Amino acid sequence: MFPQLGATAETLSKASTLVFRIGTDAHLYDDPDDVSISPLLDSRFDSDIIDALKRLLALTAQGFDASNFFPQVVKNVASHSLQVKKLVYLYLLHYAEKRPNEALLSINCFQKDLGDPNPLVRAWALRAMAGIRLHVISPLVLVAVGKCARDPSVYVRKCAANALPKLHDLRQEEHASAIEEIVGILLNDHSPGVVGAAAAAFASVCPTRQGLVKESIMFSLHCAGSFHSEKDSSDANFSLGGQTGDIDGTYYSELSNMVSMCYVERPDEYLSRSSYTNRDFFELNGAQFTSGKSNDDVKILLRCTSPLLWSNNSAVVLAAAGVHWIMAAIEDVKRIVKPLLFIMRSSNASKYVVLCNIQVFAKAMPSLFAPYYEDFFICTSDAYEIKALKLEILSSIATDSSFSFIFKEFQDYIRSPDRRFAAAAVAAIGLCAQRLPKMANTCMEGLLALIRQDFLTNDFESVDGEAGVLVHGIMSIKSIIKEEPTSHEKVIIQLVRSLDSIKVPAARAMIIWIVGEYGTLGEIIPRMLTTVLKYLALCFASEALETKLQIINTTVKVLLSAKGEDVWTLKRIVSYVLELALCDLNYDVRDRARLAENLLSWNLGSRGLEEEADCLPQHKDLPRLLAEHIFQGQTKPLSLEPINYRVYLPGSLSQIVLHAAPGYEPLPKPCTLPCDDFGQFSNAALREGGSNNDSYATDNSDTLSGSLDEESASDYGSRHSAADSSGTGGSDETSSASDADNKVDPLIQISDSVDACENQNVISQTDSADLGDLMSKKTLESWLDEQPGISDLSLSEQSQLRRSSARISIGNIVSRVKPKMHTLVDPTNGDGLKVVYSFSSETSTVSPLLICVELFFENCSTQSISEVTLVDEEPNKASVSADLALDTTESFITKNDVPTLVPMEEITSLEPGKTCKRILQVHFHHHLLPLKLTLYSSGKRIPVKLWPDIGYFVKPFPMDIEFFTDTESHLPGMFEYNRRCIFTDHIGELTKDKGDSLIIKDKFLIICESLALKMLSNANLFLISVDMPVAAVLDDATGMRLRFSSEILSNSIPCLITITLEGKCSEPLNLSIKVNCEETVFGLNLLNRVANFLADPSVSHL
Amino acid sequence: MLQCIFLLSDSGEVMLEKQLTGHRVDRSICDWFWNQAITQGDSFKALSVIASPTHYLFQVVREGITFLACTQVEMPPLMGIELLCRVADVLSDYLGELNEDVIKDNFIIVYELLDEMIDNGFPLTTEPNILREMIAPPNIVSKVLSVVTGNNSNVIDTLPGATASSIPWRTADTKYANNEVYVDLVEELDAIINRDGVMVKCEICGEVQVNSHLTGLPDLTLSFANPSILDDVRFHPCVRFRPWESHQILSFVPPDGQFKLMSYRVKKLKSTPIYVKPQLTSDAGTCRISMLVGIRNDPGKTIDSITVQFQLPPCILSADLTSNHGTVDILANKICSWSIGRIPKDKAPSLSGTLVLETGLERLHVFPTFQVSFKIMGVALSGLQIDKLDLKNIPSNRLYKGFRALTRAGEFEVRS
Repeated sequence: MFPQLGATAETLSKASTLVFRIGTDAHLYDDPDDVSISPLLDSRFDSDIIDALKRLLALTAQGFDASNFFPQVVKNVASHSLQVKKLVYLYLLHYAEKRPNEALLSINCFQKDLGDPNPLVRAWALRAMAGIRLHVISPLVLVAVGKCARDPSVYVRKCAANALPKLHDLRQEEHASAIEEIVGILLNDHSPGVVGAAAAAFASVCPTRQGLVKESIMFSLHCAGSFHSEKDSSDANFSLGGQTGDIDGTYYSELSNMVSMCYVERPDEYLSRSSYTNRDFFELNGAQFTSGKSNDDVKILLRCTSPLLWSNNSAVVLAAAGVHWIMAAIEDVKRIVKPLLFIMRSSNASKYVVLCNIQVFAKAMPSLFAPYYEDFFICTSDAYEIKALKLEILSSIATDSSFSFIFKEFQDYIRSPDRRFAAAAVAAIGLCAQRLPKMANTCMEGLLALIRQDFLTNDFESVDGEAGVLVHGIMSIKSIIKEEPTSHEKVIIQLVRSLDSIKVPAARAMIIWIVGEYGTLGEIIPRMLTTVLKYLALCFASEALETKLQIINTTVKVLLSAKGEDVWTLKRIVSYVLELALCDLNYDVRDRARLAENLLSWNLGSRGLEEEADCLPQHKDLPRLLAEHIFQGQTKPLSLEPINYRVYLPGSLSQIVLHAAPGYEPLPKPCTLPCDDFGQFSNAALREGGSNNDSYATDNSDTLSGSLDEESASDYGSRHSAADSSGTGGSDETSSASDADNKVDPLIQISDSVDACENQNVISQTDSADLGDLMSKKTLESWLDEQPGISDLSLSEQSQLRRSSARISIGNIVSRVKPKMHTLVDPTNGDGLKVVYSFSSETSTVSPLLICVELFFENCSTQSISEVTLVDEEPNKASVSADLALDTTESFITKNDVPTLVPMEEITSLEPGKTCKRILQVHFHHHLLPLKLTLYSSGKRIPVKLWPDIGYFVKPFPMDIEFFTDTESHLPGMFEYNRRCIFTDHIGELTKDKGDSLIIKDKFLIICESLALKMLSNANLFLISVDMPVAAVLDDATGMRLRFSSEILSNSIPCLITITLEGKCSEPLNLSIKVNCEETVFGLNLLNRVANFLADPSVSHL
Repeated sequence: MLQCIFLLSDSGEVMLEKQLTGHRVDRSICDWFWNQAITQGDSFKALSVIASPTHYLFQVVREGITFLACTQVEMPPLMGIELLCRVADVLSDYLGELNEDVIKDNFIIVYELLDEMIDNGFPLTTEPNILREMIAPPNIVSKVLSVVTGNNSNVIDTLPGATASSIPWRTADTKYANNEVYVDLVEELDAIINRDGVMVKCEICGEVQVNSHLTGLPDLTLSFANPSILDDVRFHPCVRFRPWESHQILSFVPPDGQFKLMSYRVKKLKSTPIYVKPQLTSDAGTCRISMLVGIRNDPGKTIDSITVQFQLPPCILSADLTSNHGTVDILANKICSWSIGRIPKDKAPSLSGTLVLETGLERLHVFPTFQVSFKIMGVALSGLQIDKLDLKNIPSNRLYKGFRALTRAGEFEVRS
């Protein structure tokens, strides 16, 4: 009681300064560590603990690291107060990944809480447990999620659905089927909130398993349909409630609906709609129109999603609009227009996204939005990005009838004080004129008037936006002229006349270009050309760079096309201009002039007479042709849309950022649907149509579990047949099976013969004989030549694999390994001293716990550096952290007598430009945190950080393949960790080799080499063997397998790594990495490291 | 799937970070964001989706507070934005207002709310009614209690019943001595008058706002006298679609308290209630401005708090403006504001003055746009009329029904 009163008094005194802050947590945020936190955490009173936890959260909120208190906080997870629990969970989830070992201590409590009668406690426990993200406990979490998925409380089931992506995120293949099963259960839930969350989980966990959702889609569609159309009671809003109750539940289910519907229904209409970017989309509409009509399921989908267009939530409206856009027939698509325009008004934040999407819709089908042009009129309060989007939409939806209004608006915009926007408006006028040739004249008049007005003001220097307006104006005029040059002769003359008053270089350059391009046009222009060129030659010296270049081009062009008596004058003008240009300050101008001069040597005549005499007559025409080709080549008509214009799914993130975001999946092409799925679906759909909702549930679970059984059975089969249960084993089989089914018979025979064979040589002989046309003999020989003497394919291995494989060794690989260099000190920080370090593969002679680090000192300065040495910052800290390590995990047995750092030999002096190498032996205590060291050079003290690399906490452990498989089989289950990643390094190698045709290297060889090299350059490992798929297709690297072995430095526990490849040679490969190690934490860390550096594309490691 | 949410103050300080998934986002992303915001200026705020070098960012700015969410994978951007908007709504509802101090003072509540609203980057409980039951909002009583007793828990022990309910927006059992329901029509007039004085766009965006304090599970039916004028509608999730589709009747079980039942749009209105006629003539380095404001179409009620605002173009050095009614202020950023209030009976308010242009500039070639704001109580300018409101399932007879209407200017712009 008393300490509480004390605390209260303190609170009061603090809060007395600001009365209104009494009772809030203000003082905790302002100075969270004004009292000692750890005694509070150990207090008996909940209020003290809450106070301490709030202080910790305040530290977290402000970005300080409060993970030191982790053990004490975890202890409080057992508290009965919900407030304490909540705060502990908040803290725990924030720091669990940093302190995985301590986080394990809380698991028991979660397990207990999962059985609590209070649903809130169960839900929180599940959320926290799934959020901790430890591979070790994932089986426990899986069981918990499975239990909670059948919980009576809706809230708990919803949390279970949300926990599934967390589990999936750990990338543990062996749980995949179980997770999918739970998704299936939750998708069939009767509460819309749960279905929404489950649909979200479905989308992130297994978006390709359509079989799983098809029934529940039908269910949700039916219930949506019935609720909306038939029952008129309070639960009519049932499914709708789900949608906004958790904002986007239905939204997600919508999305998955859409995707799977596309699969199931083979919608020809999708393809046609997505090909809207083609010009001729109107014809396609016809075809799609009929197919959209005939399809009942699509009809149901559309009927049920159309009320969603009335939703208050703009995300739901946009998603529903996306569904209609993709699936609906042309006359139904119209109904998305008004809702889309309406949500544009709803909030400023969503305006940008909505406009981006409308822009895409409007480009594909301008007719949809054409009547609503008023909605895109621009307000001054809009931000520039919004204005630009609106302008673009306006220019793409303008029609002949609405153009007069839009044009009037554009003219208003040009008067806007925002000159950037005015320039964009001018550009939009040009776009409109190109889209609507009939209106080109109106546009042209307006633009000419604008230019005349603008140059009257003559103040381009003072207002920089003005230049932009003018340039865009002339650019627009140019594009209009390009459409139909003959009718715009007078415009060109006007432009040329205004040349004297226009001062903006870019604008001048453009007008000069127009002169050169259309110099032969009509009657009047050719006559005025000489005068114009004289004028240009006169002011050449005072022009800006781009204008000068353009003058050279134009004079040459005019000369090339000149006829009659003008030629002589023109020649003189050109040589005058070139003479000037050759003396120009800018090298671009000089180069251009030299080029022009040489090309025109036949014409100019003044120089190069000798060469001309030497040339044969037929070669005389050659330079002329060349010059004409260069200067008078036909310009290609530009397309309206930018070339790199890409279209993504409406409403997706990729659509806004205009590149495919990670995880973006386009709608699949129709007909990629597996046949059995389709058959099943139509059955289910038929049954659905007839039956009511009650009988439905039982039907449904039957089919669902049936399909699941099949699925899991096949998974299971593959797993227990092979000792290495990585997921690729299964896929290998299926792919080979499908090969066998679809393709030629000989393949099967080969694999049979392989099974029968015992001798490696025989295998390769049969292979080479039978696969003559599949695989070039040369490549095979290259393998055979390098056949290793180390190991043979073991019998057991062979029977497991059921497909033939050859084994190669890459002999010289070790010599090519170059460890990665890390920078310790760069010259700017180190007063000219540059220190890089790399981990050495040698092991220390002093103690097995020490890791050798090679340091390279380089003097980049001009003065010599003396007395360079590197020492540990806090020598006494080492023992402390070692103690800590002892406390937390018993397996990290460290010897306290081993120093953190065996000091290196001091470098007495280092001359400028010299490099010096030293070896440092370091003990990292198995911490992945950097070691703080101090570098002394020339008496200066520089603190540095040495980052450990877990790849060098191991040393190579030579063994043969039998021993490897034997050890591997002793480390199953929880000692085995899998991860997948994408490997792309070999692509560069492959393409590089294409260039030099002399050395034709085998693709497979290159892949293994680059992979092995990458592994060995980043970790201290021993490469045991490389397995090669032989029966595979020529370009398919699936099944290639690399094995590495190592042992942990500190305790000599073996650590095995197996990498299995999947995919085509010339494409990014899917790697499945497997680590077998008794030391779980170490193994996991090593696995993560390996996966990270393999996935990280290196520039070049050679 | 959102990975992290940051709350930034108006000076760019990271007030709060909440990691949502195991893929932690370093707060250095906020530095990048703030640098961009400073270099790119105001237009950056309109970009609600930003692709940074490492993450995709969603931003929502409310009253100076930036809500920043990060993701690395494809997700519907509007879902992220709507979620952030909802977070902002809930927070301002809880804390009464949104500013730096109030968020820092109640950071624990903010943490608890964020944790409850978002699970693993997906929305969990976003319905304000349920949230209020799960996490007690700060109020005077709880503040005093926490100071006196030292017991500062604001988390409830049991799960609110509404989480399992089929109408999650309504609190399970509410009891009132007086049953009251108020319906407000709040309309905003958007209009654009172009340089020739022609009205190119005039429409109304309206909302039906309901404030209900009703006992039990009431069932309400609201009908309009002239629903055909509505061009487009959007509903609160409580509204049933079927009756609207067939008879254009709003049938719903209302949430407790204030909520937005429906928003609607009425297009192609004939005229605006007031006119603003600006005239600018420039000559010899100066520009004369004169502006007349008056009632064009009397709505029958007084037009209140009329203000005309415009931004002086950058090429104007100084301005000397006088008016015969109301006050003229030139604010920062060369924004000119003329607050008129009500239009007097005897004279038409007018503003006149001269603007001095930059030296060397003969005449003005860019013209400001005048933004008009006003408020009319008691009238819905769209002409929408509520026919009747029926209530079912009300246990007691003590029932009050109230109707109000209000029109104000939205984006009412007059170009010159």
